[in-house]
Amino acid sequence: MPEVKKLSDGIFEVVKDKKQLATKNLDPGKAVYREKLIPVQGTEYRTWDPRRSKLGAMVLKKFNINLKENSKVLYLGAASGTTVSHVSDIVSEGAVYAVEFAPRSMRDLIRLASRRKNIHPILADAGKPDSYSHLVEPVDLIFQDVAQPNQAEIATRNAIRFLKRDGYLLLSIKARSIDTAANPKEVFKAEVKKLEQAFEPGFEILNAKDLKPYHEDHLGVLAKLR
Amino acid sequence: MKINTWFGTLETDRVGEILESKLFSKDIRKLALHSLSLRESRSNLPPEGFDLKAAAIKCGFAESPAEYYFLLHEVTLEAAKLQVSSAITPDQRIIQAVEALDDINETTNALSERLSEWYGGYFPESELGGEDLALFIVKYGSRENVSSEDPLYLKARNSMGAKLEPADEALLKGFAESVLSLYERRQQIEAYIENSMEQVAPNLKHIAGPMLGARLISLAGSLEKLAEFPSSTIQVIGASKALFKHLRARAPSPKHGIIYSHPLVNTAPWWLRGKVARAVASKLSLAARIDFYSGEKDPSLMEKLEAKVLQIRTLNPRPPQKKQESGVKLKKRRRK
Repeated sequence: MPEVKKLSDGIFEVVKDKKQLATKNLDPGKAVYREKLIPVQGTEYRTWDPRRSKLGAMVLKKFNINLKENSKVLYLGAASGTTVSHVSDIVSEGAVYAVEFAPRSMRDLIRLASRRKNIHPILADAGKPDSYSHLVEPVDLIFQDVAQPNQAEIATRNAIRFLKRDGYLLLSIKARSIDTAANPKEVFKAEVKKLEQAFEPGFEILNAKDLKPYHEDHLGVLAKLR
Repeated sequence: MKINTWFGTLETDRVGEILESKLFSKDIRKLALHSLSLRESRSNLPPEGFDLKAAAIKCGFAESPAEYYFLLHEVTLEAAKLQVSSAITPDQRIIQAVEALDDINETTNALSERLSEWYGGYFPESELGGEDLALFIVKYGSRENVSSEDPLYLKARNSMGAKLEPADEALLKGFAESVLSLYERRQQIEAYIENSMEQVAPNLKHIAGPMLGARLISLAGSLEKLAEFPSSTIQVIGASKALFKHLRARAPSPKHGIIYSHPLVNTAPWWLRGKVARAVASKLSLAARIDFYSGEKDPSLMEKLEAKVLQIRTLNPRPPQKKQESGVKLKKRRRK
């Protein structure tokens, strides 16, 4: 019998052969990206690979991701929806607004969303929050994984528009998408500073950690609006 | 204040109380189309932090949060589907064709080689390869069947190859048919690309040729992106490894990416390649822009390019002298 330990709301550690991060499957019997399904006493858990998900890596890096069963999440850079599916598991009674710009990825995301009622797919440019402001309610968490050079600006604009007063921003910064040539550490420093100061009103950084060994040259950041 | 939302138009007072509301019917398709029409709107946006769900319930569009989410889910899904299905533009079709062509080339070469290796055991003297070999095998199978009019008749009769058993012959014939059909598919795709390029990007096709033009579109991601690239980027598309090596370390900058396959570039003498590549790239960029923004064909572009290249050639008839101090520098090599 696999052993299950709760790490935080909706996030578990399942021990079967080895320790694995997992969420409760909202769509039982169905795997999204060939992850393992582990049934434990009538509940099905889906393993969550931190190497394929920056959010998963942040959980293992002890970020407090502040999600509850009924949280509303704005997910910028949803891609094909591997991580989105886990967020959808966690906020089973809430909502995930999944913004993605590439039609190719949206194709997979639509397939996922048509099976999970709490995912609302939006094909739009995360840099233009005005273009989806008629759809998105105030949210508890913005998760951003867009790999764009102006990600600090994108985060700020979305946070001002959609983030609740007590909401949080979780951000994954990819050094290589900002400057391919520079030293990642310097890039991180500059980006964190940008988040704090470059745009009004700025963020208060609560936590910032390298996502090694799960992702090379990525920094995870937890912040809230000042 | 007027506010546009996906479920209707609201009129609110200064503190955000809803005074009036014009709600849409709960027709998913209509709501999705309406939502898409609001994407570009810059006016009447909901103010920062506006609670759409609460407003929808208050003005009676939805009875409960559950109903609100149900409708929102259906509408966003429908809207996204509409957007995805309209995303397959003609230049996207060209990109798919280019990528399919690359796959087919790779597979065809691998299978052809396998066929030649396999059949070589039975008729090593044929000296046929690729499509010719596949045609030969489909026609005759075993070398014993080669007709006396065929130029390979004598070679086939005196071959040192092994005897081909009927079961093996059937297998090899089928295999050769598959290879042959891949060659046919390749021609079909090439014709398709040529034809589509004429319609989608006639100027680019004129300057670059259909295949190079299609590859440029493919590597850029779309004709729109290619039209937005500066010509210096077009010059090095396809040389990303060399470019990043240049940016990171002290490597020299690449002179050309895939535009190396352009006849003006690859026939230029070595000391002119960079200059010619720059001239070609600049005209390619112009061509892509004309194709994307106006679509009219401008035959003078190619003439200008040829004149420019001629000018480059006449201005630099001889290779530059190697620098004198290079010999000195060699001695002073940095120690590691």
